[in-house]
Amino acid sequence: MVLFKREYLIEKVLLALAGLSFVSIAIMVIFLAAEAGPALAKVGVKNLFFESTWQPNDGRYGLLVFITGSLLTSIGGMLLGAPPALASAIFLTEISSKRFSKILTGFIELLAGIPSIVFGWIGFTLIVPIIRDKTNTPGVGILAAAMILSMMILPTITSIAADAIRSVPDSYKQASLGLGATRWQTIRRVTLPAAKRGITISVILGLGRAIGETMAVAMVIGPASVFAKSLTTPTHTLTTKILIEMGESWGLHRSALFVMALVLLTISMGLIYSINHFLGKEDY
Amino acid sequence: MNEELAAAVNTNPTLMEKRAPRSRVKRALLMDRLATLVIFAFSMLAVIVVIFIIGTILKTGLLTALDPAFFAGKPQALRSGGGIGPMIVSSFYLTLLTLLISLPVGVGAGVYMAEYAKKGRLASLLRFGADTLSTVPSIVFGIFGMVLFVIRFGLGYSMLAGALTLTLINLPTILRTTEEAVRSVPDSYREASLGLGASRWQTIKNLVLPSAMSGITTGAILSIGRIIGESAALVYTVGIFVRYAPVSPLDPGAPMAANIWHIYTEGALVKDWLRVANGETAFLLLLILALNLLARLVSWYYEKKLGVTG
Amino acid sequence: MESENNLSEIKMRSVGLDLYYGEQKILENITLDIKKHSITALIGPSGSGKTSYLRCLNRMNDLVDDSKIEGKVFLDDEDIFQNGYGVVELRRRVGMVFQRPNPFPKSIYENVAYGPRIFGINDKATLDGIVEDSLKRAALWDEVKNKLKKSAFRLSGGQQQRLCIARVLAVQPEVILLDEPCSALDPIATQNIEDLMAELKSEYTLLIVTHNMQQAARTSDYTAFFMLEEQGKPAGLVEYDDTSLIFTRPKDERTERYITGRFG
Repeated sequence: MVLFKREYLIEKVLLALAGLSFVSIAIMVIFLAAEAGPALAKVGVKNLFFESTWQPNDGRYGLLVFITGSLLTSIGGMLLGAPPALASAIFLTEISSKRFSKILTGFIELLAGIPSIVFGWIGFTLIVPIIRDKTNTPGVGILAAAMILSMMILPTITSIAADAIRSVPDSYKQASLGLGATRWQTIRRVTLPAAKRGITISVILGLGRAIGETMAVAMVIGPASVFAKSLTTPTHTLTTKILIEMGESWGLHRSALFVMALVLLTISMGLIYSINHFLGKEDY
Repeated sequence: MNEELAAAVNTNPTLMEKRAPRSRVKRALLMDRLATLVIFAFSMLAVIVVIFIIGTILKTGLLTALDPAFFAGKPQALRSGGGIGPMIVSSFYLTLLTLLISLPVGVGAGVYMAEYAKKGRLASLLRFGADTLSTVPSIVFGIFGMVLFVIRFGLGYSMLAGALTLTLINLPTILRTTEEAVRSVPDSYREASLGLGASRWQTIKNLVLPSAMSGITTGAILSIGRIIGESAALVYTVGIFVRYAPVSPLDPGAPMAANIWHIYTEGALVKDWLRVANGETAFLLLLILALNLLARLVSWYYEKKLGVTG
Repeated sequence: MESENNLSEIKMRSVGLDLYYGEQKILENITLDIKKHSITALIGPSGSGKTSYLRCLNRMNDLVDDSKIEGKVFLDDEDIFQNGYGVVELRRRVGMVFQRPNPFPKSIYENVAYGPRIFGINDKATLDGIVEDSLKRAALWDEVKNKLKKSAFRLSGGQQQRLCIARVLAVQPEVILLDEPCSALDPIATQNIEDLMAELKSEYTLLIVTHNMQQAARTSDYTAFFMLEEQGKPAGLVEYDDTSLIFTRPKDERTERYITGRFG
């Protein structure tokens, strides 16, 4: 009886620990919403989300510039990063020898372990100057951010996509090769379509990582609270705006920064929700 | 059926050549070569990027990083010749404190997910929480930690506030690696133990967890890498510049990664700021590389010496 | 049956074939003639190398790391292991049906159209014709003609296996290798496949690996008996002859023991 009671207690304690993640998310939503409340109420949804002018001194808190900046940098990072990431996943699983695959995996894990600030520093000291010299522009902006992000999201996409490709049954590949298809035809027409769901998830999570990246982008984005005039002129993103201004803001200004955090949190939850619900079932 | 068959047979010989003309096969083979080449070239990009980053950082900063006067030296706010001693202490202190809090929580949560959680609403809710937590941007954690730990709990900018914030970031990683490691322990172990009359928790404590130790340790080392490299979450919870190393958990600190951000924003205020930042970045990267190596050694040790995988 | 002359023509031939996986020799000295428009059954206990042999004939063993071949295999008097021989084309000419039905996660139509598509046929009308023709020959058309766009996974196991045969037929092979095609099927589905094989014989050359002696006796013209003398040693071909002779008057004692034991 004593033993039974102890077992019961332990299970409940472990449950509480497992529930901490969900509870944290809930508390986070509540706290961020509370901080964002004044801006949402006084500035209003329309003036926040459909205005592009950010001038706290005049009481103008348009977020459009930052939302656009976040989207453009991460989509840019995706365009540059997803192709090599997916190619790596294909190479690791379908083409490379086991031995070489292990070595390459090691490099990709190393890449995943490099801190944001190091990417930022590389961007600031190396990539931005090169763009500046080549294009005769400030050099900071969406292009530099996208280049840095493409490197940072590569490991995320590659590892998840490789898992998905690995789980495609061997029998599909055998059937295709047995019909006289080449390896590439088999990859393109059988393996990749069969791994479609996992590959989509890998790209979505890569996008999530890109939207949320802060430090690395902050060191190459500008910053300036205006729309980018070109790919190589300063602008801002949601994360970089919060990072740079949170320390020196009060009242509605501060509250508006929390609205941005709330937007980022909503995007995170939306991505996970979309993975669980829209990609839950296979077509076949 | 037979008539159709006969009709089909009659049209056959020419159809065959039509269906797989040699030029087609040749083209397919050419495409195969080409695609393989392109895929190979693309996947080498990751290798090139890693070598390029590590090479560049070490080239500009290694000498500074390995100079005792630098890594053990006192930071300077205005003059040249500053070191990063307190920053290194901050990073290690923060890592230790975070692991102290997040390991028990994360391992416990992972054990629950693997051993107790049944498929259903509760489990998917718990999983949604962990999945979401792992995609929340670190800056959002940072300002949440600021509101809750720094202000509401009154901890101020401190090691403890930072460690609590990092625990939230770390939790999903430790949870997932633990869960995977625990799941990979064969059921036959559990059955043998339960069959001997051991209780569920005794089985987990004495058998399952030790067998899963390799995976848990690797996960812990990986999360050390994340803690040491984290910056955005610490700017508003721990601090970005200090003169003296933190002693109490309530002291503010300046972990290396956050301090590099400080140097970047202050810029030319100090004459040799590039030297300091390069050195600090190189030191940080060396630590990350060492951790990576350590993780490899640990999993190699568990696999080869003890014959345990997972 | 076709004319005597036609039957004696040789479609494939292996001469002194050895197969290695890494250091281990799996098959030793297999010499076998496979006659055109016939069904040859490969029988023998588990692990006797029947399937490994079958997979040599369209070089599917190439996919196994460290596999190595010695000896020769001819298809229409050309050595398929000679340097520069087109594996892709070989596999189109020598099609394979696997132990478990393995349709692609695509529609019924797309499964059959897969082969023609990879050989560059994209014209809708031509593809429609090939799909219909192949499904008819695989005796599946009447059952699926109204649901061609449905997932292949919705078919029963027997139907899936016939779909896999249709998929092979769509690329116009000359030889069809069947690796225990009925092992996952119920008796009625098995009967369907056996009937189908009898019909396909007039056009194609078939090889079937089977554990089922009755099936070998019922369906095949020739039978090859494989055996593994001792664990760790390579397997070999014990006897090869007309099916009627193998099952009534085997020359080798081991063949007789195996067959009678199995018929029991």
